[in-house]
Amino acid sequence: MPKSTPTTKKKQKTKTQKDVPWSVVVLDDPVNLQGYVTMVLKRVFGYPQPRAETLMMEVHTQGKSVVWTGAREKAEFYVQQLHGWQLQTTMEKAS
Amino acid sequence: MKVLPTLEGGLCIIPESEADWMELHLICTDAVRPSHLAESLADLMDDDSDWDEFVVPDLEESFNSQCRFVAATIENARDHNEKAIFITPPQSEKWYGAINQARLSLETRYKLDAVEADGDLEEATPEVRSAYFRNRFYLFLQSMLLEFVMDGVE
Repeated sequence: MPKSTPTTKKKQKTKTQKDVPWSVVVLDDPVNLQGYVTMVLKRVFGYPQPRAETLMMEVHTQGKSVVWTGAREKAEFYVQQLHGWQLQTTMEKAS
Repeated sequence: MKVLPTLEGGLCIIPESEADWMELHLICTDAVRPSHLAESLADLMDDDSDWDEFVVPDLEESFNSQCRFVAATIENARDHNEKAIFITPPQSEKWYGAINQARLSLETRYKLDAVEADGDLEEATPEVRSAYFRNRFYLFLQSMLLEFVMDGVE
């Protein structure tokens, strides 16, 4: 009995964590060009030019921008894509 | 060195001296260690993600292949006494990626952004000044790629 209780709790915790939406966050850096960041956001997320430019400017002026929010698995996929394009990107639980 | 857009939607680099060829060779030398970039990107992720195990090897291979491609293209053009190096639209991402690795590496080593912001270039060491001008050249190449080649490639 004692062993089964923690196991159940752990599973519940894992399920809860998976249900929490995650944000993909692009960070500013001194190397990547603004036009490049815009192009990457268009290609990876399929955003139209104005939305991609708005997010890029957020990265530039505020140091970071939440570019997508949703399921953890998909967020990881997007981060992997953005790392492939050499953008400084991380994930955080959506507030 | 001349860099021109081509009618086929690519870019043409025309080295005009030995120094120009040397400058092109330095792209992959400056990129130094592509694995370092993959690892530093992984550092942005939390430990639960297992990024080191599942993602870093693929990123390393991708970054390495960009450098290998650019180095081989330059080497081949040099060996065959080509007058120009052509970058086609499908090749542009590899070129941009290798050059970006070089710029990221130079920024990590020399903090060139801060050097430029402080206006300290005249007081910088020859090594830093050289890195600064290489970075400006790479930036120019990237801007040309972005403006004339990559933005139209889907």
